[in-house]
Amino acid sequence: MAIAVKLDDLLHDRRMTLTELAERVEMTLANLSILKTGKARAIRFSTLEAICDALSCQPGDLLRFESAQAEREPIAR
Amino acid sequence: MSKPSASAALPIAHVALRVLIVLNWLAGAAVAAMLVAPATGRWLLHAYHLSPSPDADRLVMACRAIAAVFLVAIPLHYVVLKRLLAIVETVRAGDPFVAANALHLQAIAWMLLALQLLSLVIGAISRAVSTPAHPLHLRAGFSISGWLAVLLTFLLARVFAEGALMRDDLEGTV
Repeated sequence: MAIAVKLDDLLHDRRMTLTELAERVEMTLANLSILKTGKARAIRFSTLEAICDALSCQPGDLLRFESAQAEREPIAR
Repeated sequence: MSKPSASAALPIAHVALRVLIVLNWLAGAAVAAMLVAPATGRWLLHAYHLSPSPDADRLVMACRAIAAVFLVAIPLHYVVLKRLLAIVETVRAGDPFVAANALHLQAIAWMLLALQLLSLVIGAISRAVSTPAHPLHLRAGFSISGWLAVLLTFLLARVFAEGALMRDDLEGTV
């Protein structure tokens, strides 16, 4: 998928578990897992707002656009 | 009279459809038996108070042809009833907006279309052999409401297909 969710990185940086985040944003662990694993088709503004509030971050910190071409041709190191 | 509740309507529909499936096959078996039974011709002549003549033979042949067309309609009825039953099952399970139901409705629409065409054939046969002396009154032929049902079912199938897509999107929304 072209939009990557960086929830794992943010949780790692904040030393927070998915369960703790689920309690703070009052969402089910199942729904947050769907988001974390990139299986979500859409995200509500209210969800984005709650997560950004809980993790003290910007929407851009949570989501990243990855073009299909970039995915096919990984940058040579 | 009190209106049946939604919870009662579904079991009633379920039972009614199952009964109709059995009745449909029984009707098919009865017509098939009538079609092959050698006494059918004599019975028809007796029912129409006719003596053997070319006209009487024509009427018997027409009745046999109508019975044959009716037999073709039996499996079509079965598909309609079976698919409706499958839809009722999904409604009972609380999940009717699925792609399978759009396909069920589309199949039902095609079957209704075929049934309307068969009705036209039966209507044409009965008109061809009906005479003022021996009228053959059958509720068959062109029906506005029948064709409207075909159109509505095709539209409903499309609505369900769109609904299933929207449902999928909603399922993936967090």
